[in-house]
Amino acid sequence: MRYRGEEALGLVETIGLVPALKAADEMLKAANVELISYENIGSTLVTVMIKGDIAAVEASVAAGAKAADEIGTLTAQNVMPRPISYVGDIVSVHDIDQ
Amino acid sequence: MKTYEAIGAIETFGLVFVLEACDAMCKAANVELVGYENVASGYISVIVQGDVAACQSAVEAGIKAVEQLGAKVYSSVVIASPHGDLNKMIDRYQLSNLLPAEEGDA
Repeated sequence: MRYRGEEALGLVETIGLVPALKAADEMLKAANVELISYENIGSTLVTVMIKGDIAAVEASVAAGAKAADEIGTLTAQNVMPRPISYVGDIVSVHDIDQ
Repeated sequence: MKTYEAIGAIETFGLVFVLEACDAMCKAANVELVGYENVASGYISVIVQGDVAACQSAVEAGIKAVEQLGAKVYSSVVIASPHGDLNKMIDRYQLSNLLPAEEGDA
């Protein structure tokens, strides 16, 4: 789905696909958030991006990061409360529905 | 779009060990291979689906097979009831998307 930065953005990045899958599952189940983008960006890094209310995104990223860390290597996690629309454009380059 | 039952996944280094893991997983329990991905730098994953117990046995067998060859499993997971949106991620790795078209394919 097209993301324009209108909602908070949450990101979790892991080494490899397996922790990313687990993180995505936990993130989507932990709070009311939507999966917007997902990308194997290379150099073994895989990033999962979600959107929702700021509180939901914070809870979701915390749960996803914890889960990824338990089974593999977490390289980065971040919550962006109100990204500018250009950030939304970059995120949408990796849209899950494309 | 179909939802996956339980899924099991193993990530290890190099094709040799991944093929061994995949073989062990599919022989150990009633699971089918749903995805294969070379993430980068030799990190390769295989994803299987089946019921929860089958996925658990399969992942255990896969890890054991890789370790017997003297390699390291980077990570493994069994997700008992994957969230619906995970389909979108897993579907990207379906073998049918990766294989060259054969004669008779629509």
